[in-house]
Amino acid sequence: MRVKMRATAAVSVFAGLSLVLGGCAAGGEPDAAAEKVLVVDSTFALSSIDPARSFEATGTMVNHNVYETALTFEGSDLSELVPEIATYTISDDNTVVTLTLDGEHSFSDGTAVTVDDIVFSYQRLQGILGNPSFLLDGVTVAKVDDSTVTLTSETSNPQLPFILPNPALSILQQSVVEENGGTLDESDDAETFLTSESAGSGPYMYGTVAVDSSITLVKNPSYAGDEPYYDRVVINNVGADTQRINVEGGQTGLAMNISSDEAEQVDDSKFTVTTGASAATYYLWLNTNDEFGGIASDVNFVKALRHSINYDDILDVVGLGSEQPGGVVPLQFAGSLESDENNTYDVDLAKELLADSGYAGETINVLYSSENAFSANVSQIVQASAAEIGVNITLNPQTAANTLDVFRSGEYQAGLANWGADYPDAANYLVFAPGENIGARVAWQYGDGGTADQIAPLVEAAAAASGDDERSAAYIAFQEALNDYGPYIPLFQPASILVSGEGISGVESNALWDVDFSTITGG
Amino acid sequence: MPQAPVGDAAVATPRRSHPLLRYISIRFLISILLVWGVTVVTFVVTNLVPTDPVSAVLGEQAANNPEIVAALRAEMGLDQPLLTQYWLYLTRLVHFDLGMSAQTRGPVAADLARAFPATLELALFVLFFSVLLGVGLGMLAALRHQSWLDKTIRVLSLFGISMPVFWIAMLAYYVLFYQLHWLPGSGRLDSALIPPPTVTGMYTVDSLIAGRFDLFTNAVSHLILPALVLTLFTIGTLIRFSRSAILDVSQQDYVQAARAKGLPNRIINFRYILRGASLPILTMSGLTFGSLLSGAVLTESVFSWNGLGQYAYKAAISLDLQAIMGVGLLIGVVYIFTNFAVDLLCGLIDPRVRVQ
Repeated sequence: MRVKMRATAAVSVFAGLSLVLGGCAAGGEPDAAAEKVLVVDSTFALSSIDPARSFEATGTMVNHNVYETALTFEGSDLSELVPEIATYTISDDNTVVTLTLDGEHSFSDGTAVTVDDIVFSYQRLQGILGNPSFLLDGVTVAKVDDSTVTLTSETSNPQLPFILPNPALSILQQSVVEENGGTLDESDDAETFLTSESAGSGPYMYGTVAVDSSITLVKNPSYAGDEPYYDRVVINNVGADTQRINVEGGQTGLAMNISSDEAEQVDDSKFTVTTGASAATYYLWLNTNDEFGGIASDVNFVKALRHSINYDDILDVVGLGSEQPGGVVPLQFAGSLESDENNTYDVDLAKELLADSGYAGETINVLYSSENAFSANVSQIVQASAAEIGVNITLNPQTAANTLDVFRSGEYQAGLANWGADYPDAANYLVFAPGENIGARVAWQYGDGGTADQIAPLVEAAAAASGDDERSAAYIAFQEALNDYGPYIPLFQPASILVSGEGISGVESNALWDVDFSTITGG
Repeated sequence: MPQAPVGDAAVATPRRSHPLLRYISIRFLISILLVWGVTVVTFVVTNLVPTDPVSAVLGEQAANNPEIVAALRAEMGLDQPLLTQYWLYLTRLVHFDLGMSAQTRGPVAADLARAFPATLELALFVLFFSVLLGVGLGMLAALRHQSWLDKTIRVLSLFGISMPVFWIAMLAYYVLFYQLHWLPGSGRLDSALIPPPTVTGMYTVDSLIAGRFDLFTNAVSHLILPALVLTLFTIGTLIRFSRSAILDVSQQDYVQAARAKGLPNRIINFRYILRGASLPILTMSGLTFGSLLSGAVLTESVFSWNGLGQYAYKAAISLDLQAIMGVGLLIGVVYIFTNFAVDLLCGLIDPRVRVQ
């Protein structure tokens, strides 16, 4: 009896202590009582926050808020360039972009941003051979005078101005970076410094950085633009599963990875759901090499699959704000294809085309990343759709790393993948051309007298086109050809979904850098 | 003056080292060998993975550039033969250099120094309450063998063992934080607060060192939910194990003799029964502690705890080889030295263990 009473007492004390301490949860005075803090939940996709090495979503978002670029976009509009620290002109042959510094910007230590900093930043990006170095491939960066820089491309490069807002082309403070190991070649050793300290002129600068768990941004006192509302932004690495609970529970001000299903259940009288078009195109790819693709390399078989897929079902599953692009170029970019008859659901036509292909019941292996939020469900819809016309698909889910490795080998039969725009211009989508980045993965090469050679003139025309109208028409023609006899089936373009807490406003989704914290107010 | 033994007498009585010291020395040497074995196993297993780790790091465009691929492979040491890679790894390890993480772009040692204290803090909290409750309830159940209390406790233990930990975690988070607002949400501290200066990496300890009781209570409050979940998960096994060990000891002759002598129950229960059952309970507690220190991936994920479990998971899925080896080595060392400490304690508690 005594043992029982003592045990009961002990358990009661434990429970009581827990609740008392739990009640103290809110007691911890904020370290600056008047400080306005925005807490952001984001599932980190981050490999580096050194701008010249950063190429994943979280790094891009952080860098946009900490650094400035020569040119930028306003809000969610990626069609119109605006000056950030410089204005620009481009030569008639699209080979020379001239940047003129406005001279009004300063780094966080008060030092003025100069042309030398621009030249250094761009040349460092080129020289260190990091992930985003390709953005300035074939471009020579040169200082003309104290307010002018030229970027000279080897060939016509009308998309270059649209590349400049990419946060990988952030302007870094040359003196600080060089002091901390920065160089213009592979011996550069500034990454460790730039992972803990910022050297930028943007609205915020780093407070504390733990790249796998939490990044804190604090206001940059020398920022030339409008002072941000929030003194501190704390970006926490939080799984998507708990972000809605955190926002609705009042712990978080902004959640960045809530699924469309959950977003539709959010009480919109209290919380704000902001959607925006993402710049990611999800597509099915099929290997064009007979050895690896088998029947999947047959044009009629690919066409049959195109017409077998129930695209509406896919959009239902992907959810809020998702769209079916007509081609591989996202719908919000110039040169996008709004729709194409080749990518319509038509079971009867699909069966006819399948018969023409000579399909004899072989199993088609479709690879996808099990870590991607949409891939599993969409793959199953593709599988079910194909089964309706008599095609057997076996799904092969792999981790993201394995999926990439297998895809890049160029020896797998088929798969589901996505392309996120490196910059908001249709030229980025020439990667789907034969011999180019994605084309090579599906073994689509020129010189075999097949579909690759057939599309070659359209690829050349798109690459050489000049002027908005001519370029737009050329890229539309390219995509129409891809839909007619290419090895890709564009499936959907998901939306970006942001959920903000009570009283928070000014949240705008940007397909390149997700969100600009300096425009957010309230709370 | 006593004469030193001579002749046969000198040979017959050789100088002997203290048995406990000898025991500790032997176990320590074995532990070092085991650590080396762990490095071999983690290195071999990590390199058996067929996927190229460079793929996980490079974007599509960069992966198409042979120069960039070659530079990254050289940076990651992947251009060297495997034996050379292992030798380089060992020579760096001697200097406590665990290499560079491909995902954080910083030293793996620094990453582990940041992640491990988070897990250690949680593990210590959980261990304390798990042992208190697990052994206590197990003892209660054993002493009230076949009573309704025994049956209730056994059902509770079964619940803890059977329920998926991620389910318990989500339920606890939803009910106790979201619905009832009894406890704070995820993370180790409220995001609006600035963590205390790092001394141990454990926010509770560091806040006390910094004299910040407000941070201490906030950190403890954040510990409660994940600790509750993990405690529910671990006490099941401890209850059943303790109950079984205590039942076994309570049937021993010396316990019966103590009862026959009329000793008070309190003395019999703690000095005779519990002490007799302490070795297996201690061993089980040690294993539990080792398991907690390895990081509870699912619980850490739900509560965004950013400890060793989450770090290990991210390293695994992104094929961060240096980080994977670092985590494997750390977990191996944790288990080895936890067991070493448990064996030491067993040796201290039971002299027969030392003699054996």
